Amino acid sequence: MEKERVLEVQDLELHYFTRKGVVKAVDKLSFFLRKGETLGVVGESGCGKTTMGTALLNMPTPPGRIIGGRILLDGQDILKLSENEVRRRVRWETIAMVFQGAMNCLTPVYTIEKQMRETLQQHRTMEKAEAKERMKNYLNLVGLSDDVLRRYPHELSGGMKQRVVIATALFLEPKVIICDEPTTALDVVVQAQIINLLKDLKEQVGVSFIFITHDLSIEAEVSDRILVMYAGRIAEMGTNAQIYGPQGPAHPYTQRLLGATPRLHEEVEELAFIPGTPPDLIAPPEGCRFHPRCPVLLERCAQDDVPLREIEPDHMVACWRCFDE
Amino acid sequence: MKRDRLAQLRSFWSEFRQVRFGMVGVALLVVFLALVIFERPLLTYRDVNSRWRDMMYWTDSPRYALPVWVNWFTSKDYATSAVIQAQNVQEAEGVRRTTMEFPYEFKAGRPPSDVLLQLALTGQVSLTLDIVRPDGRSVTYQKNTSSSGSQVLRISVDQNLRERVFQMVASAEDPAVAASRNPKQINSVGVLFGKAQPGVFSDPQVLDGTYVLKLDVTLVGATAKLDSAKVIVAGGVSGILGTDAQKRDLWSGLVAGTKWALIIGLLTSIISVVVGVIYGVASGYFGGWIDSLMNRIYEVFVSIPLLPILIVLSAVFKPSIWIMITMMCIFFWVGPVKTVRSIALQLKENAYIEAAQGLGASHRRILFKHMIPQLVPYAFASMALAVPGAITYEASISLIGLGDATVVTWGQILFDAYSSGAVLQGIWWWIVPPGLAIALMGMTFAFIGFAMDTILNPKLRTR
Amino acid sequence: MSEPILVAENLTKWFPVKRSLTQVVRHERTWVRAVDGVSFSVEKGEIFGLVGESGCGKTTTGKLVMKLLDITDGTLKLQGEDVTHIKGAALAQHRRHVQMIFQDPYASMNPRFTIEEVLMEPLEIHNVGKDRAERDVWVREILEEVKLSPPDEFLVRHPHMLSGGQRQRAATARTLMLNPSLIVADEPVSMIDLSTRAEILSMMKQLQREMGLTYIYITHDLSTARYFTDRLAVMYLGKIIEMGPAGTIIDKALHPYTMALIGAVCEPVSGKVNQIKDVPIKGEIPAATNIPTGCRFHPRCLYSVAECWQEEEPTLDDIGGGHRVACRRYKEIERLGNAARTSEASLGLRRTA
Repeated sequence: MEKERVLEVQDLELHYFTRKGVVKAVDKLSFFLRKGETLGVVGESGCGKTTMGTALLNMPTPPGRIIGGRILLDGQDILKLSENEVRRRVRWETIAMVFQGAMNCLTPVYTIEKQMRETLQQHRTMEKAEAKERMKNYLNLVGLSDDVLRRYPHELSGGMKQRVVIATALFLEPKVIICDEPTTALDVVVQAQIINLLKDLKEQVGVSFIFITHDLSIEAEVSDRILVMYAGRIAEMGTNAQIYGPQGPAHPYTQRLLGATPRLHEEVEELAFIPGTPPDLIAPPEGCRFHPRCPVLLERCAQDDVPLREIEPDHMVACWRCFDE
Repeated sequence: MKRDRLAQLRSFWSEFRQVRFGMVGVALLVVFLALVIFERPLLTYRDVNSRWRDMMYWTDSPRYALPVWVNWFTSKDYATSAVIQAQNVQEAEGVRRTTMEFPYEFKAGRPPSDVLLQLALTGQVSLTLDIVRPDGRSVTYQKNTSSSGSQVLRISVDQNLRERVFQMVASAEDPAVAASRNPKQINSVGVLFGKAQPGVFSDPQVLDGTYVLKLDVTLVGATAKLDSAKVIVAGGVSGILGTDAQKRDLWSGLVAGTKWALIIGLLTSIISVVVGVIYGVASGYFGGWIDSLMNRIYEVFVSIPLLPILIVLSAVFKPSIWIMITMMCIFFWVGPVKTVRSIALQLKENAYIEAAQGLGASHRRILFKHMIPQLVPYAFASMALAVPGAITYEASISLIGLGDATVVTWGQILFDAYSSGAVLQGIWWWIVPPGLAIALMGMTFAFIGFAMDTILNPKLRTR
Repeated sequence: MSEPILVAENLTKWFPVKRSLTQVVRHERTWVRAVDGVSFSVEKGEIFGLVGESGCGKTTTGKLVMKLLDITDGTLKLQGEDVTHIKGAALAQHRRHVQMIFQDPYASMNPRFTIEEVLMEPLEIHNVGKDRAERDVWVREILEEVKLSPPDEFLVRHPHMLSGGQRQRAATARTLMLNPSLIVADEPVSMIDLSTRAEILSMMKQLQREMGLTYIYITHDLSTARYFTDRLAVMYLGKIIEMGPAGTIIDKALHPYTMALIGAVCEPVSGKVNQIKDVPIKGEIPAATNIPTGCRFHPRCLYSVAECWQEEEPTLDDIGGGHRVACRRYKEIERLGNAARTSEASLGLRRTA
């Protein structure tokens, strides 16, 4: 039985209006997120994955604007709500985000307690003792001891700070947490611990994650389903097994990206890579956006815009080669 | 190579042209440079550079005259200044008697501030001056004078003719009022040019028309002679920018001051900023004990007050603008040091500095090729800010009598204005132009500096 | 492989920490022991890797090799010559022979320079080349070599006008200008997108083969280290704790710290989503001012016993096949086997996470 969908995005479009032209950073994106699942979003830098994350909070970075589409959070379109309502009821309440480098955003002059309480008080009125109890609970949940509350950010290691940020995101019990490269600046051991923590939380709290990163090997560890973005669009979307399984992904881009990911216990003579650079999103190429870099080009790839189609349950691909026609 | 540089300069200029405020700065600079280059033809008083402080040079001008263009905005015009040459000169043979007439066409809303007759005479002379008004009334003044050599005689309506002017119109005024007035305390020029009617003393109404000054000179003895004669009407307005308390023409002063402002401002700011930037960068870059030592030396220089030093030095040397510029450089270089040092501390953390070290670059190369170019925008900005500072500093030194008396500077004009209480008296044309000039000069360099910043900092540029 | 190009013996770098008033009164001094006695040698034409977490002293070691920092203790020999305390002209020569590729290619190039100026710089510094024309030819050749072609298009650009990969190519080109005998590459691909990472690494490897280059590759990323390096040294808190052929280190790691590092690496294979990762390590890395006694890894080690902290620090012993490990109990740990390790480790993780 399919679990309920907490988040459903339909034809989301976000453009940056720069002086040089309109950058179509997110171009008609549709996907959904089930309850208690982790959706991984991967892609090269500049493919629009972070932009998509901010769009889900209805918080595009200027000069970006959401042009169209719907973001249904529990069946309600948050793009139709006023900014005030979004701030009060949606952001941090139902959907929270751990930004890239968020651990460096802790104010150095306040204790962790004060910083956490500030977030809490923005949304709830609560007795000081009760608030403190709650903070302790969440810190314990992310594997930190109570006395972290009294500490200042500089007294904590990078991993601990990242845990504090995750605790703060959890704290108002949102249904969805978007994590944007939460482990990039961390060492491998700490990174593994944070990954374990996120898996743990998914099970214990039942929260759904959207996990944004450029690293396919991390997605393999954390995400139930993977969404591969290329040039503002979805190239492929499938379950962990469909993407990483023995059969391998269907889209040539995903295949290439996976091929470029080094494997620890495999002796390889030559690593594969994707030649060329991602396209300019002001004037993306005609047809399939990947075609200028694609090794298995068909004639129609350069001409016809390629749709995203389901090739097997839960597995969507945007590639002419994958469609039996 | 040379062509490379030229091409670089050309591309720099084409980029510079796109920065609007930069072009404003360049335009202002062109104006200032034009003032310097075309100084000769622009000066209304040619000798202003050498005789600014010579009271005699300015005696012919009115005091506190407004700029002429004020008349464009007032309904009651101020009389313009004029020098009238003699007409109808008749020299009688034998008797050695000369008569001449000086007609003055008066047509203005307000009377001039004074009318003067200026004569250069030798020997014993007796003269008679008649001022005949359009309405026929006249004033007569007689004087006998003798001197062994040549002398300059000045007869002023305001100083020499008060009582006679009073008498000339007293009959028209109410006898009671006339009797109550002290002839020595009337506005003599106003009355001379006023309609002969009651109230002429308290509120004279101007009488337009031709006023004729008739001069009759008798030369006594063989040696006596009349060298020259002219009538000067000191108007209410004079020159492009009016005059000050010492009757000096402010336009000429301002034009003559432009080159000094540029010289003082640019020389002081360029030398001191260059020295300060190099010092600050070196201090930040080397660090350690070199930094500490350089910091201590810096602190010595900031804590020594410049003014007392300048006073002492001016007492020892003859005050000269060059010594002053040198002294200002010696003390002004500290200005950018602290900021530059802190920027250098940040800059040297950049990986490319380390990369250059790794390539084996010398300290000098790193300082001059990698670090100082990054500071060019800041250097320009601080130069721009140092320019007005240097100008006013020079001015305040001039104020205590230690300025270079051989030159005219904007600061000196401004400080003369302050010391004469021009602000309180509302003599705006004495304060605003030099002040504005100093501000514009500062702005010129600030604009150019900011424009260069946007161009020289490639991070602000797009592909 | 012939004579070693670089030999480091007991290389040490201690940084003084600013003292507090009480320490000044008591004549105490604390030191950050960033590199604490590191010995290794690099053969000509090999790629030697230094891996470890941030703060383990790998970058400092690289800078000591570059002589960007003064060596506190130990000796450093380049091509048989002692370069430990060289200065002046000899140092300039050293920097001609040893070049560095930095982590952030953008930061390592002066933003005001064009690529041409960047590449000309080493030639100007060492006054190589007859005239500008000759240098110009070299610059173009090298640009072709790193596949930034056509060169004319790139010469006039500023670093910010290049993509990340192109920038690192330009940075690599700069190090090649002087035909160095050793290149220290400090995390050259960590700031670069995954898709281009492999491209840069293959290019570097290709250049190495063609030009007979020698690299010291500094990284925290074991996966690329395995692909890129011939030999690998794992550093922990300023010391090498395991060293050997890259494949051996990764597939048959013996030091518990290396095992933990390997266990922590994510791999792009399916079926791991619902498993908690096995990271056999506890606690966090201690400060380099306060290095534990005995084996410096013992507070985080799951297998430490009393002798680990009571006795002398273990030495980096050769156990055959060029594999060296600095652990007293590596044999017992090996014997404990996977079964015991997993259960113990996951328990440890749960508690310390």
